[in-house]
Amino acid sequence: MVQTNADGCEYKERLIASVKKEVKQLMEEAVTKKYVHEESSSVTSLCGAVEACLSQGLRRRALGLFKTSSTTALLHKIAKSCPEAEHISKLVQEIEAMDPNKRSSSSSDSFQRPPMLKKSSSNSMQSASSSSNALALASTSSAASGSVSVSVSVSLASASSSSIALASMKYLWIRLALYEKRLTKIIEYLVSNASSFYDRDSLVADSDYGSILSSLLVGPCALDFTRAKTADHYWTDPHADELVQRHRISSGRRSSSTCSRPAIINFKRSLNTSSDEASTGSFKSMASASVAKDYVESLHQNAKATLLYGKNNVHVLPKDVAEPMAGYLSLHQHIQTLTIKWTPNQLMNGYNEADEGEGEDIDKEAFWAYALNINVDEIVYVHCHQSRGEDSGGTVILVGQDGVQRPPIHFPEGGHMQQFLSCLETGLLPHGQLDPPLWSQRGIGKMFLWPKSMRRRILPSVMESVDETPIDYVFRIVSKSRHEEFAATHSILDFVRSTPRRAQLSSCSTTGSSDCSNKSLSIDQYPLESPLLLQHQHAQNTSIEMVCSTMRRQIISRAFYGWLAYCRHLSTVRTHLSGLVHGRITPEMKADEEGLTRERWQLLNVDGVLENATEFYRLVYFGGVQPELRQEVWPYLLGHYAFGSSLEERKRQDETCKHYYETTMSEWLAVDAIVQQREKEKTARAVAKLSSSGSNSGNERTVRAADLDAGGELENEVFEDISDISDPGDLEFDDEQRQQQQQQQGQVQQQKQKQQQQQQEEVPVSGMHLCVKPIPRAMKTSTDSGHVDEGENFNELDEEQEQEQQEKINAEPPPTMASCSASTASSYETVGVGGAGHQATSDSRSRSVLSPEYLSAEDLQLPEDNDEEEVKPPQQQQQQQQQAAVIITNASVDIANWERSPKSGNSQQMSPVQEQTPVLDALQQPKSACASPASSNGGVYSSELLEQFGLNLHRIEKDVQRCDRNYWYFANENLDKLRNVISTYVWEHLDVGYMQGMCDLVAPLLVIFDDESLSYSCFCKLMERMIENFPSGGAMDMHFANMRSLIQILDSEMYDLMDSNGDYTHFYFCYRWFLLDFKRELVYDDVFATWEVIWAAKHIASGHFVLFLALALLETYRDIILSNSMDFTDVIKFFNEMAERHNAQAVLQLARSLVLQLQMIIENK
Amino acid sequence: MATRKKSLLKVIILGDSSVGKTSLMNQYVNKRFSNQYKATIGADFCTKEVVVNDRVVTMQIWDTAGQERFQSLGVAFYRGADCCVLVYDVTAPNSFKNLDSWRDEFLIQASPRDPEHFPFVVLGNKVDLDNRQVSTRRAQQWCQSKNDIPYYETSAKEGINVEMAFQTIAKNALEQEAEAEVINDFPDQIILNSQNNRPGNPDNCQC
Repeated sequence: MVQTNADGCEYKERLIASVKKEVKQLMEEAVTKKYVHEESSSVTSLCGAVEACLSQGLRRRALGLFKTSSTTALLHKIAKSCPEAEHISKLVQEIEAMDPNKRSSSSSDSFQRPPMLKKSSSNSMQSASSSSNALALASTSSAASGSVSVSVSVSLASASSSSIALASMKYLWIRLALYEKRLTKIIEYLVSNASSFYDRDSLVADSDYGSILSSLLVGPCALDFTRAKTADHYWTDPHADELVQRHRISSGRRSSSTCSRPAIINFKRSLNTSSDEASTGSFKSMASASVAKDYVESLHQNAKATLLYGKNNVHVLPKDVAEPMAGYLSLHQHIQTLTIKWTPNQLMNGYNEADEGEGEDIDKEAFWAYALNINVDEIVYVHCHQSRGEDSGGTVILVGQDGVQRPPIHFPEGGHMQQFLSCLETGLLPHGQLDPPLWSQRGIGKMFLWPKSMRRRILPSVMESVDETPIDYVFRIVSKSRHEEFAATHSILDFVRSTPRRAQLSSCSTTGSSDCSNKSLSIDQYPLESPLLLQHQHAQNTSIEMVCSTMRRQIISRAFYGWLAYCRHLSTVRTHLSGLVHGRITPEMKADEEGLTRERWQLLNVDGVLENATEFYRLVYFGGVQPELRQEVWPYLLGHYAFGSSLEERKRQDETCKHYYETTMSEWLAVDAIVQQREKEKTARAVAKLSSSGSNSGNERTVRAADLDAGGELENEVFEDISDISDPGDLEFDDEQRQQQQQQQGQVQQQKQKQQQQQQEEVPVSGMHLCVKPIPRAMKTSTDSGHVDEGENFNELDEEQEQEQQEKINAEPPPTMASCSASTASSYETVGVGGAGHQATSDSRSRSVLSPEYLSAEDLQLPEDNDEEEVKPPQQQQQQQQQAAVIITNASVDIANWERSPKSGNSQQMSPVQEQTPVLDALQQPKSACASPASSNGGVYSSELLEQFGLNLHRIEKDVQRCDRNYWYFANENLDKLRNVISTYVWEHLDVGYMQGMCDLVAPLLVIFDDESLSYSCFCKLMERMIENFPSGGAMDMHFANMRSLIQILDSEMYDLMDSNGDYTHFYFCYRWFLLDFKRELVYDDVFATWEVIWAAKHIASGHFVLFLALALLETYRDIILSNSMDFTDVIKFFNEMAERHNAQAVLQLARSLVLQLQMIIENK
Repeated sequence: MATRKKSLLKVIILGDSSVGKTSLMNQYVNKRFSNQYKATIGADFCTKEVVVNDRVVTMQIWDTAGQERFQSLGVAFYRGADCCVLVYDVTAPNSFKNLDSWRDEFLIQASPRDPEHFPFVVLGNKVDLDNRQVSTRRAQQWCQSKNDIPYYETSAKEGINVEMAFQTIAKNALEQEAEAEVINDFPDQIILNSQNNRPGNPDNCQC
């Protein structure tokens, strides 16, 4: 690149800047990845930048480095006096000597080094070690020679391995110097000895830049580079952490505001050197690069357009640029139109960035702004300026119909302007022409010396100095096919032009145009004005008026169309988005307000009555709720408590809810018991089958024996168990029993803990697990006891059954409060009694309804026995204890272990009933009295219901166990509460059923309230909105569609990216956000804060606040998403990795401002 | 470098909820087991670079929600899958029974070009647990009946067989991809190739 003195300084600045940038890139990589691979593209680009600095101002001639830009020769040159350089120089030669094929590519960077030089340099630098090495290499190309030093051999081994690619051979010596950590030293040497190698004004010789350059490289030289092929060595998607970290690093220098150009991080970046990656790269600059490439290629080869003219190194002086820029000028003929294009050289193919010493994509993109693309239809005048007397090229200025000049185009000497004009004229045919025609001028001279008569001299004084006088011409482009409106405008302008004043200013054949057909046509079109036009003497003022009026008309019409487009845009906003926000904008919080603090809450909540809903919501929306207030406040937010309700009212409401919750729970617990029983049977069968089909014959025998024995004895157990569950309401227990029970519980618990230690069961044990069920064991082996029971019960209890069924039908879910209590009472009793058929026969009717405590006390003995008896032989076992007879013996350890997990699960389930017993007692005493004392379970629940609910329970169980078990609250028995709340909900909404995600929605409520019934009620309220998000509802698709519209309106750049990735339309990365109200995206404390704002937002700003939250989350990382041009999968991965690491307060704030933004847009409509 | 052809293998893990899909994926990719995983909502994926037949490929392993209710979501994720991993829990017979419907559902939604020979791999997970209920033989029978799907018994917790299973997955996915190329180039060779190169065989599992 030819340097002028003027821009020399600027150029040096640029060189240094590019080194700085690459160093930064490399250091970033080192920080984020902990190591840098030798072949990393950052290394290559750094070397490129250094090379550019070193070759600038190099005194090639003086050094005998003819025609080469390679600094390798320089290195060899200084090797004699600089030990570091000598070392590197040696290495370079060895590598070059090793692989002659690579020699040409390695020895020069951008220019082929002439063979002569290569020879001389290698000759002069031959050393003993390299020659011996060459011998060694003759036998094996990959082995390192033992005669060289250790460090050399390492480099050699690596360099000689076949994997080394051309890319890594580029800038070879700089690369090696970097690896060997000697680059700084070498450059310091060059800087201190600059006078002998560099021009005085070169970068290296400059006192400031030189030292900057060497000090810049200190950092990279301290790095350790690796050739290790780690797992991450291959390109992989960077982890979200890395993306964010990189973004932080790079956003430091650029402002990260949304309007600014997105930071270019470019870690998928691949330079020209790694073409392999370039083709697969998907990030934006790569995408734009390929577009650019297409564009440039379309200049030459284009199926749709004919290239009429093409000339390189045509200078154009774009606006805001001091110096004319060289570029490629071309004239293209499309079917309808003629286009003049000019593309800066920087954008053209083959433009070597390294030559220019600036490898920045940013710069390259900036050049697009200078590229010209002119439709000849829009051009009215072609002004040509040429110095007279000599062929000095010429300048063409194109003037559009709006009178705007296009940037001047300077043609190089050699008649190129004439060629261009003649091509233009040819292109205009047959529908248009240059006026005056070119051929008449061109006719005489080959050299474009136009006849004097056609010239227009602007200044008479200049005319005197013959040689200096510029020769100017103005051609008009006349298009016969031009649109009428344009023709009219044109004719007016034409008229103006032909007035003396205009003619004076510019030039042209004043009379020549008057006979143009165009003009007469236009006059016809303006019959009203034509008389004026005809009066040439008075025409001047009028014509100016006309021009003004035409312009006015055009301006108005443009304004109109602009306005129309804007209106359309707004109508989109209105139709799609106005429903998303409230029209009324609620004033934001004052600076001193901090959301709903205790003081504010006490002020609002006068005498326990909360009246001012708006103020309440406003505070919550803008500032959130103080954590300790949440328990009190959330029921209001969720709509559980009504505003204005008194303390007593709320208390009553709570009690009703509790009652309702407990009755409902007892209902499903009854069903749960049956389901459990059935499941155990099934499992037992499966195990039996497995063991029988398996090779374990001993096992098989035991199971079968147990099966046989089980027949008669099992029923009692099944029985007790069920009655136990279903009769929490009965209170005929005494303190004695209780105490006894508690003692036993203590024992059982110890044992259970022991068991659990053995099994490593995940179920947490708690002191609240009062009863341990023997049933699982019983059920496992009893293949069909449940069914038998049912059948028997049917026979026994015919009369009651009918009655019972009727009751059931009336009361089946969802029951009203009144009927519910009755039906619940009856249902669990029936289950109890039904299940307890046999027992009922032995006991009195009144006894058949047993207190759970009583039963569990009985049951409690079983596990003990069980544990002891596991080792006993089957016969003995059966004799000793009837219940235990079912137990499978030591024959199969597998099965024995397996038994326990369902059992512990079962006991866990039971515990809540126990906990709540007192309450239930109080509530249900009256009911149990009026309920029919006996019935059968078989008729009460259809088998479909059982199956359906059983399946749901099974799923709930699985998910509850996995739900937030690392959060302190759920580390203990609270998981049972969670399960109860969900099961109750599912029981009440069996048509909906359990769906994954419900756990996540209940959990935070439970954490806040620590109360099942309140959590349940609030969960029901919450689900009114959330249920639509689940697969059964349609809200998710709506959310996605709204997201799309929102992004379109609020972030068009993001929208473009998404639009270009068709997949984005699905917005599946938002799925979990919407399904769970961001519960999985944030940590618990943030979930609380976010949820309350969502609830309050409904009344303050937007019923769809989640959309704005989602958008805010997206916007928070927009620069990362945009600069990496993430597609659908990238975004999913990114946000999954970022889960629970967002800054919730910042996101909330952004979401609120986005709501406001949309409100403003809509209001301004 | 220049000869290194990057390719992306998309692998979908399907199966009932809590059979251990997430755990398997994380055991394979991160060599870690955690008992803290929650039910997967939506979908997630991990990528891992593997070397198969001297070729470096990126495996993109998609972990999906287990509840069949969420299958409607699947279409977006199933598209373009190269291999489908069906996971069941050896202690949960239902999860085994549901393999059929998972397989069918996948074939319907992903609609691969050649459904008959689309590579599946079946994993019987949680073999570290004692209360096994689905026998190896039963599972193998099922796999054989479905065009010889390779079958592995794994434990994400103990890391048993996980590496091997995923190697097979990668290999079969790659073969599927290679077959697709062959089919595109030489339509006549479909049958020959698909018979000879049929990925997987029942003998893969010796456990």
